[in-house]
Amino acid sequence: MTLTGKSSTQLALRDPDIRLMLRVRDDDADAFPELVELYHHRLVTVMHHLVGNAEEAEDLAQEVFLRVYRGRKKYHPKAKFSTWLFTIANNLALNVLRTRQRKPTVPLNVRDSGPLGPRPAEQLVHDRAHQPHDRIQQRELAAVVQQALETLNERQRIAVVLNKFEDMNYADIADVMGLTTKAVKSLLSRARENLRLALKDYIQMDRKADEAEE
Amino acid sequence: MALSEEDRAELVAYLDGELDEAATQALEAKVAANAEVRAELEALKQTWGMLDYLPKASPSPSFTNRTMERLTLEMKSPAQTKTAPLPSSGRPWLVGLAWAAAILIAVGGGYGIASYYFPTPPPTDPIPEADLPMIRHLRIAEQWRYYENADDLDFVKKLNHPDLFGEDPS
Repeated sequence: MTLTGKSSTQLALRDPDIRLMLRVRDDDADAFPELVELYHHRLVTVMHHLVGNAEEAEDLAQEVFLRVYRGRKKYHPKAKFSTWLFTIANNLALNVLRTRQRKPTVPLNVRDSGPLGPRPAEQLVHDRAHQPHDRIQQRELAAVVQQALETLNERQRIAVVLNKFEDMNYADIADVMGLTTKAVKSLLSRARENLRLALKDYIQMDRKADEAEE
Repeated sequence: MALSEEDRAELVAYLDGELDEAATQALEAKVAANAEVRAELEALKQTWGMLDYLPKASPSPSFTNRTMERLTLEMKSPAQTKTAPLPSSGRPWLVGLAWAAAILIAVGGGYGIASYYFPTPPPTDPIPEADLPMIRHLRIAEQWRYYENADDLDFVKKLNHPDLFGEDPS
């Protein structure tokens, strides 16, 4: 939620992250590494779920921190510090995901390529000849979920990741993504419906896995 | 009856705890009364839960150090760029002068080449007054060797008549 005037000053006094960022702005040499240490895990996690690659996620998270440092002099606490940080992350991630969409770099198997190869969405459709076994490895299921996440468009994906892994409410997501709360509601609804369709053949399996654990 | 997009958005907002008290109660009543809505809610809930299968990210322990190194490198490189600006960036008039010189050379060179390959003919002298009748009767002058043996023009015309010498027998 965006704050103005007196409330922003009060927020700055109360929020330790804002105070830390203000120290970065004022060129306190110890402040920036402290900020990186504090936020890098969350940022790498979000980036990892967005791009699906640990190494690239670290590079992107680093780039976000460098952008924070470059823009430190322009920082004025108007909202929670994390909102400002994830706004920068959102802009970077959007660029990366859009570029990737224009120039896909996912390696294709020979049998997957060509006009007769399945489309990405079709790859998610469960192959009836190979029913998923109840004891399917968690790693395989993770790959399926990651693939389902990649079927979402970049904005849906960002909204989902912020909602799920940053536990952000609609108002904060709207601030980060520059949207209205209503638009975020609609975006998340469509994203979750798309995920439901992509994962429908695995939901039953997930339930059985839970029952087996119990 | 299939759920509308708005209904689904309400279900998702309900799962995310984004509905106010009144909307929450209305939706819970709808869920209790309608099996299809109940099934949809359950499916959305399970789908969301499946995202927990995604691998947990674990940044490398050297992340902060590497970030600081990258920052240090970046802070050094812009300084070098500032101390060595492009020669043209500070003197725009020099660029204009260079362009003017280049255009002059191009135009001059083009004219020289054109003159070499397509030379213009030298200017002709004015025709003297005495030669004007000669030019006017150029045709007669050219045929003069035929006319000089004839006594008059009527004789020449008669020579041209076919009846004078008859048809060629061969």
